[in-house]
Amino acid sequence: MSRRIVLLTVLVSLLTVPLIAQSDPGVRGGAAGAGNALSSVLANNPTTILNFFNDAKARFQEIDSVAGAVAGEEGVGLGPRYNSRSCAACHAQPAVGGSSPFQNPQVGDATADGARNTVPSFITINGPVREARFPFFFNTNNPNGGVEDLYTIVGRVDASTCTSLAQPDFNFAISTNDIIFRIPTPTFGSGLIENIDDATLLTNFNNQQSNSFGVSGAFNRNGNDGTIARFGWKAQNKSLEIFAGEAYNVEQGVSNELFTQERPLPGEDRNTGLPSTCRVNATPEDHTNFNTTAIGTLSDTVQFAMFMRLLAPPTPSTTTPGGSTSINNGRSLFNAIGCNTCHTPSLTTSRSAVTPSLGQATANLFSDLEIHHMGTTLNDNVGQGDAGGDQFRTAPLWGLGQRIFFLHDGRTNNLINAILAHNSSGSEANTSSALFFNNLTTSQKQDVLNFLRSL
Amino acid sequence: MRRTFFLFLFAAPLLAQQSMVETAPPKGPAIVYPKDVILVKGAEPSASDAKTPLPEGGRIADDAYRNDYFGMTYALPRGLKQPFAGPPPSDSGGYVLVQLQAPEKTAVLIAAQDLFFSASAKTAADLVSYKKETLPSYYDVERPPAELEIAGHPFARFDYVSPVAGLHWFVLATEVRCHAVQFVLTGRDTKAMETIVGEMNAMKIGNAGAPACVRDYAAGANVLYRVEPVLTEHKFNRIPVRIVIDTKGRVKHIHFLAAFPQQAAIITDALLQWRFKPYLVNGEPAEVETGLVFGGAATKVVKAGD
Repeated sequence: MSRRIVLLTVLVSLLTVPLIAQSDPGVRGGAAGAGNALSSVLANNPTTILNFFNDAKARFQEIDSVAGAVAGEEGVGLGPRYNSRSCAACHAQPAVGGSSPFQNPQVGDATADGARNTVPSFITINGPVREARFPFFFNTNNPNGGVEDLYTIVGRVDASTCTSLAQPDFNFAISTNDIIFRIPTPTFGSGLIENIDDATLLTNFNNQQSNSFGVSGAFNRNGNDGTIARFGWKAQNKSLEIFAGEAYNVEQGVSNELFTQERPLPGEDRNTGLPSTCRVNATPEDHTNFNTTAIGTLSDTVQFAMFMRLLAPPTPSTTTPGGSTSINNGRSLFNAIGCNTCHTPSLTTSRSAVTPSLGQATANLFSDLEIHHMGTTLNDNVGQGDAGGDQFRTAPLWGLGQRIFFLHDGRTNNLINAILAHNSSGSEANTSSALFFNNLTTSQKQDVLNFLRSL
Repeated sequence: MRRTFFLFLFAAPLLAQQSMVETAPPKGPAIVYPKDVILVKGAEPSASDAKTPLPEGGRIADDAYRNDYFGMTYALPRGLKQPFAGPPPSDSGGYVLVQLQAPEKTAVLIAAQDLFFSASAKTAADLVSYKKETLPSYYDVERPPAELEIAGHPFARFDYVSPVAGLHWFVLATEVRCHAVQFVLTGRDTKAMETIVGEMNAMKIGNAGAPACVRDYAAGANVLYRVEPVLTEHKFNRIPVRIVIDTKGRVKHIHFLAAFPQQAAIITDALLQWRFKPYLVNGEPAEVETGLVFGGAATKVVKAGD
């Protein structure tokens, strides 16, 4: 009898251990804490800015086709190579402007309007939106790192003369470990990030130097003027307009006034470029519209940047998940073990000439906008600007509570795995992440996780 | 026959280029890239020779950490291991030498700050004082900075605690070759932490045979002849460089803490042409170690509160 009780006790304890251990609370439910315009924009200050925001949001959601002649797909310039057909298709969670949604639109993009693409194995309906890059040109040690668009317009009803254009050989790239992925960065609060002065970032950098966690950091400086770049997974882009122009060109294949040619694959561009039969439209496909007035004059690229610039930052929850006591405790623990050394909770913006909400505002971004060595586990062997293969911009954590996929390649949807990935050979985050796993109690870890999911 | 030869000459570059195109597998055996290896590096450490010890050149063997540059041998505390090596030196002169960890045990971080490149401190004691001055409000001071001797060396010690985490920090720093070498202990059990501090007395540290280190020696009238390096790519990153000048005033050794390979090559070419006044010790020429910063964004970092 007593033996039975012992066995039962052991069984019960085995079953309950996982319940007691800390766990990722998961994507925070309820209303989207993001997607609105900044408060001064909603107040239409300065006059007409709200019209600009609304127009920009509509353009951000527009679906592109090759000639803009497909019903419901009035955007012009898709392809000849592309990853998806609309900004908002990928920047979607939890609202327009965000990150990868629950259902990956790229599965449908493969065959939309008659396109005849094969969906690569790393694109799945419930997986993250991804762009692929090959770190090296095939069978060489020459760094590549450029985006290899998933699809081509061949077969589409509007592909016109573009009847032959092969997709990249993803299977070969996978078989040789010559492929990495990136997921969309959320764009909420981007105008605040854009308006933080370099001096503020340098002061914050200096304040970090007395940390007890082995963290240093550096800036990815723009190669032309030497100032601090800050957008993209490796802080490789200086401004929202460059960010928008590059994405329009790379992700949707739309040439524009910042990136003026149709984009071949990196290897194609070392040979003969895109075939003339696939350069269907006159370039740049997106441009200033001289024959209209006011808002209509602006190019899509300018308005995409405007949309991101005027988006409010995400609103955190004070009570969900876990209640306010747990969240506040988690915030304190997050600071105590040094996570805030890189994930700087807030920085102050400069005066703004655009709208009052962007000026001298507190941006609760949880990032220092520096690039840090993240070690072998997160390394992607892609160099961008001054950032090497394992250097990444500290990902801003605002809005994290409603994100589905984590890390630059969306490899996990579990926050604990994301923290664990900070720990590897060569990472600046080793000490802090080890303190999280080794030195906090189970309930303390849960408080940190609740805090992160409240953001 | 001649025509065939010409065709081959023309075709060869095209065949070579085909392997660059991502839309088709290349001919010949495939190169498989290793996983979890950083092949594409950013600014990285390098040196003009492979035999001169470097701060980042320490290693763990036989349960001890050894570092020839700092003349250091430190027996690892029982039960602690280094699961992962630290990051490379930073462009602000920071080194992570060792990170020792184990579940529920005191963590030990051994780090170094090159004092030539520190914006906040010129000595190890400065660094510890600065740490106290800038200690965030969510920590409480447990022991203000004070001097003590460990292993025959002067150390500065500073203790603080996070009440919410229940974790204590002991920071112990000493100076070797113009570096602040810091031991940062973090844990719940202060008795166990004190034991580790006590065991540090068995450590060897300090390199008596090293050149004198002098901040800003490579400046002003000490420089008799200089050639400016002209950087081409990556012009704006900060490039901290340690050099050893020999008794005749020539650069004997160059250590880049963080530089792109092309930058290191260009700066090395220039520095090998520089000539200095020999450094004198008791009237006799002696080797001297000093620091320089290259790069377009050798930004003066403003100290908090300035």
